[in-house]
Amino acid sequence: MAKTALKAGARFKSTVCDTQVMVVKAPAGEFELRCGGADVVGATAPAAAGGTLDPALSGETLIGKRYVNADESLELLCTKGGKGTLSLDGVALEIKQAKQLPSSD
Amino acid sequence: MSEREDSIAQAYAVRLLASLGRQAEAALALPMEHPALRWSRSGLMALTGTPESPLMFPAPLAACADGVLAALAALGPAGALDGIDGAALLGERAAIAGHQRGGAVSPGGACRLLQAADGWLALNLARDDDWDLLPAWLEAELAPGWEGLAEAVRERPVAPLIEQGRLLGLALADARPAADTPPWQRGFAASPRVPRSRPPRVLDLSSLWAGPLCGKMLHRLGADVVKLESTQRPDGARNGPPAFFDLMNAGKRSVALDLGSSEGRAQLRRLIVAADIVIEASRPRALRQMGFDAEALAREHRLTWISLSGYGRGEPQEQWIAYGDDAAVAAGLSDTLHRATGQALIVGDAIADPLTGLHAALAAWAGWQAGGGLLVSLALRDVVRHCLQFDLPADDDALRVRQREWTERAAGDGGARLPRARTAHGVAPALGEHTVAVLAEWAAC
Repeated sequence: MAKTALKAGARFKSTVCDTQVMVVKAPAGEFELRCGGADVVGATAPAAAGGTLDPALSGETLIGKRYVNADESLELLCTKGGKGTLSLDGVALEIKQAKQLPSSD
Repeated sequence: MSEREDSIAQAYAVRLLASLGRQAEAALALPMEHPALRWSRSGLMALTGTPESPLMFPAPLAACADGVLAALAALGPAGALDGIDGAALLGERAAIAGHQRGGAVSPGGACRLLQAADGWLALNLARDDDWDLLPAWLEAELAPGWEGLAEAVRERPVAPLIEQGRLLGLALADARPAADTPPWQRGFAASPRVPRSRPPRVLDLSSLWAGPLCGKMLHRLGADVVKLESTQRPDGARNGPPAFFDLMNAGKRSVALDLGSSEGRAQLRRLIVAADIVIEASRPRALRQMGFDAEALAREHRLTWISLSGYGRGEPQEQWIAYGDDAAVAAGLSDTLHRATGQALIVGDAIADPLTGLHAALAAWAGWQAGGGLLVSLALRDVVRHCLQFDLPADDDALRVRQREWTERAAGDGGARLPRARTAHGVAPALGEHTVAVLAEWAAC
């Protein structure tokens, strides 16, 4: 399985659903980032041959939500929602709690 | 010339009323002052310019605030808004918080104009954790603080910065405005007035300034206003100056619901359908993700649903966030002042917020009087642009001439006065103080 470096600002898309994400922050190193059970690809990569969504990994992504790993060293922003579950090295990512509102603008 | 200029606020009020299919039935209550003096006397001039020198603005924004307030007063019960100074409302947050003009930095300090490779943009880092997004925005590690940020932005073109920033949910704006003339509201359909036996129930789901001001004005007109907050994410303005929060929210009742629970959402739905007017300023997807379809609710329950946003509904703009300072930049205020003076400056203190709040109150009240069943969308950027373009000199030469003439006029009147705030009548309710009572009263099955 392909491991890839995750750099802040990098954008990826799922090959099995509509999900797109942007890396907000990530630890150094290479990781296996997947959505719906299949490796994600760069957002500008040509459309991959239609993979199939693993039904066990169809937990859905929601636009605007942040997805984090257990220690929150990885944070992805969902820029387009889809059906697949995001995972890092085989562990599903969780939705991060919404930001507090500012006290003024 | 001068006589025409003195009646700009009146002309603006008439224009707004006409756009709602209404006209003033009595004389409009307006300060008969030159628009340059409305700017200098209201505190807006003191809030615009470099720390060394306050600046005139060459379009009658202060007079437009007077005009929208007069239009609202004309539709409401006689005398309900007496004693409120429309233009001064735009400076009262700064008066309370002690904000001062800072050139290219907003008085509140969170928004700045930044020079990019091919233009200027405004970036508003209103939330502390917005700073965490900057490496992703610029795809680079940064030296901390605004200086490192300014340096990194200087080398990059505006358009991709805006695109990437919007994906990240940053509030930012191209200082060069789109060359359009948007309506100040969308969705209002004029229809005959329906008799009303009681004042409207208003459910205010908004936070900060624009929406709460709208709700507060409706309260002044006699509405029963309920401020609804999520227990997880209450209005951030509760953490700001209490005098300002009281000014916006005293007299409203407070309901707090756990919107993460299905029970809380069911309670919210019951309150929405029991309301006449809903004020809401979240991104449409937030409500949709909770299972609420604003358009359908408005139609089916005869609501006047006021949807406030930075740039309007529909894709892609409904995903873009905005606050009062950056939306005003997007509307072209900084560009206009730059053309008049050669300086890159923020205009006023989050000026899009109170301007939009006043316009929203007008749309809400008129919609309720017309029987509801409407979703009326007001975009901060579009409201400000509507005000800007109402009486904007046709070209840069004329703009500079007006800047000079209006500056002289203000100087002859003693120059810039400091902004001032009204005193709240009472204190704002504690979070959730009226949850039980309002649920029992409004949402009785």
